[in-house]
Amino acid sequence: MIQFSKASVTYPGGVQALKDLDLTIEQGDFVVIVGLSGAGKSTLIRAVNGLVPLTSGSLTVDTADGDGGRRSREVVGLSGAGLRDLRAEVGMIFQGFNLVKRTTVLNNVLMGRLHRVPTWRTLVGRYPKDDVEIAMRALERVEIVEKAYVRASNLSGGQQQRVGIARALAQEPSIILADEPVASLDPPTSHAVMRYLQQINRELGITTVVNLHFLDLATRYADRIIGLRSGELVFDGPGSAADDRVFRDIYGRSLTAEDVMGDADEDDVQAAAGHTPVDGGAPE
Amino acid sequence: MSSFAIAMGLVVVVFTAVTVSATDFSLAGIVEDLGRQNSSFAGLLHLDWSQVTNTRALSAFVETVQMAVVGTIVGGFAALPLALWNSRVGAPNAAVYAAAKSFNNVVRAIPDVLWALLFVAMVGIGVLPGILALIFFSIAVTSKLTSDVLDGIDQGPVEAAHATGAGHTAMLRTAIVPQVLPSYISFLLYNFELNLRASAVLGLVGAGGIGQLIDFYRNARAWRQVWGLIVLFFIITFLVERLSLYFRRRLV
Repeated sequence: MIQFSKASVTYPGGVQALKDLDLTIEQGDFVVIVGLSGAGKSTLIRAVNGLVPLTSGSLTVDTADGDGGRRSREVVGLSGAGLRDLRAEVGMIFQGFNLVKRTTVLNNVLMGRLHRVPTWRTLVGRYPKDDVEIAMRALERVEIVEKAYVRASNLSGGQQQRVGIARALAQEPSIILADEPVASLDPPTSHAVMRYLQQINRELGITTVVNLHFLDLATRYADRIIGLRSGELVFDGPGSAADDRVFRDIYGRSLTAEDVMGDADEDDVQAAAGHTPVDGGAPE
Repeated sequence: MSSFAIAMGLVVVVFTAVTVSATDFSLAGIVEDLGRQNSSFAGLLHLDWSQVTNTRALSAFVETVQMAVVGTIVGGFAALPLALWNSRVGAPNAAVYAAAKSFNNVVRAIPDVLWALLFVAMVGIGVLPGILALIFFSIAVTSKLTSDVLDGIDQGPVEAAHATGAGHTAMLRTAIVPQVLPSYISFLLYNFELNLRASAVLGLVGAGGIGQLIDFYRNARAWRQVWGLIVLFFIITFLVERLSLYFRRRLV
């Protein structure tokens, strides 16, 4: 469970990204946050794992404690080891993938195990077998395990984002945060990535919070849609309840073609999800 | 032309004129000196080729290479953490950042020969002060070049590592080091070339290696032998440079 109450974030310079936000996200939910850029979506997501600290208000994050029980933390005021413990329970997926391009896919995924691996082992690059096993299973889940020993820079955009998902999964997290995970991808690849996220949410029960700009993607995959406008909650309801009128309200303007990703052919989605290198974006 | 360029041009002209008059520099003097009998350059015409195969010269060179290798390895390895801590993204906290920055500034301010003089005074003449001098020289060179590269790295992986709850050292190792590693290794090879060259001078202050032999012949005014050693030095640095260039090309 993630619970914001009266949460505000004001950046140095005076920009208020979140204003008195009250929001509760239940365990196991698949929540999509929509809004224009600058509406506070990124700030909201980054507050959950403490990458952006709240200026005022409170934020409690509930995670599994590893022994079958649950543990609740107040994020405000966390620092050092406490903050790292929280982050270890929360996986994150980024718009720009944030992979180390010069190293292998497996090494990138093993980054998700750093919290558990002794520092000296990380320094010499000798990861415990169990952690390598967890990383490999994460790669299997996003169907890219055959690329484990390939340099990340040799993958296409869609493949790189799947590695990003695997890195988050390798943390064995209670929560996954995804900040505009498909903004750099083409439509079929975007659908494939969203399906992996949905599948992970359904099968592993990991609470998933995704920032999206495209409203058709939001309505298609979200259990619940949160609309943000200028740091304030302007919509909260099931995906089915969000029609064009609601989106016009969230965006504060009439909708344009750029707000819609467009449907992909079922074939394209299958191809993008499979092993063929046809998915989006040329290797960088 | 901008007024700034004109002003700069004037400054250069005035500065040169002032310096020439202050140091009594004269081209006529140089021409006159060149025409004079010069025993050191006369040695070049009859250089002692036997130095190239002379066992004493070769063993002095082996010593020089050894000094350069140890200096590069020890100094270069110490330079990596110092370079990482020398940057805002790589320093674990403000105190370490300030400490690393001031240490690097001090080390960089002292030239290699001065390090050698200090260590000769501290531990006596020989290879040891030479190695110590090269260690500090290598720290200065490699940490400076590497920390410049750090400013331009992709910050994405750093954010990703923080988001996984990784400790600071683990983040450095997995998110930053792989990005700077090729440049770092290339700087190490370049540093090795510099160390080899520096060791010729270090010997002049008693810090071992080929420089000590050059100094011995120079004091005896045996210019033919000095030139023979310089030719040998040229051959060896040329070979090392080619080799290091080959490795550096393969890294990129």
